[in-house]
Amino acid sequence: MNYPRDTLECGHSLAELSAYLDTGQIADPAHLDSCPECQAGLASLRKLSALGSELLSSDVADAGSGSDDWMQSILDNLRLELRPGRSIPLQSVHPDDTLWETEGSISALIRSVVDAHPGTAAGKCRLHGDVTTPGTLITVEVEIAVVYGHSMEERADQLREELARTLATHTELAIEAINITVTDVLEEQP
Amino acid sequence: MTEPLEAAEPSASTPPTGVAEELLDVVQSVPGVSAVYPAQPLWQSIAGAALSAVTGEPLPLIGLTDTAGTLAVKARIGVSTPRPAPAVAREVADAIRRHLLPRAAAVEVSVVKVGS
Ligand SMILES: [Zn+2]
Repeated sequence: MNYPRDTLECGHSLAELSAYLDTGQIADPAHLDSCPECQAGLASLRKLSALGSELLSSDVADAGSGSDDWMQSILDNLRLELRPGRSIPLQSVHPDDTLWETEGSISALIRSVVDAHPGTAAGKCRLHGDVTTPGTLITVEVEIAVVYGHSMEERADQLREELARTLATHTELAIEAINITVTDVLEEQP
Repeated sequence: MTEPLEAAEPSASTPPTGVAEELLDVVQSVPGVSAVYPAQPLWQSIAGAALSAVTGEPLPLIGLTDTAGTLAVKARIGVSTPRPAPAVAREVADAIRRHLLPRAAAVEVSVVKVGS
């Protein structure tokens, strides 16, 4: 399969993670316990694999080959987003304490909320704006691929509300807008 | 999750390893903490990576540095809870600080994973 060439910061690649899902084999299994980015990558690949099955493709590898641009695009975004990214400051009680959330943890959280919906897969999940300065207005950009037949408008509205709730709970970001774009409508094979 | 093994030779700048293990217990017992990740990711620590490759020992989960009597503590956590992740991070910092009293500490907590 035509995975993006680049590896994650930990040195692992999406291809290795995908092979691990298929075979249970990876050079250093202990790494998976100690790497939040690989864990987020595995979760997204599992969802893609499930969606591939729903589309009657045998697995991610087949579905991602050649003509399936949507899956390639999701993998490209994963490669960009599966990294710690910027450090988002959190309020601390004690002046000598420094608390952060990684940007990667929040984009993975957004992906997990999207991916929890049947027939839906998260593509791009980005935070626009200076997340490193508290109070800055942030716009969330989310791209999704949905299987045909799942109502698009309803889906986007529901998702927007759910993401707003989740981000209000788990971040201190000042979210100005959550823009959801359906980039791909996927046809089930006859 | 794997427990860190005792470091073989604590140097002058390294606090007793027992403290790191105590703090690991303290962090893990804060409700909502689902995982504790190595304080210094393997790939950011060439020396640590080389040592770890040789000994097969995992890197320490809680980072400790003693600077002029102030203990700098570093923890990277995963949070899985309906409770807000920022609140869990604050509780972790507070729990570490209390545990070390009366010793002065500067605590850094990074949430690197939210959700299951
Ligand atoms: Zn990794």
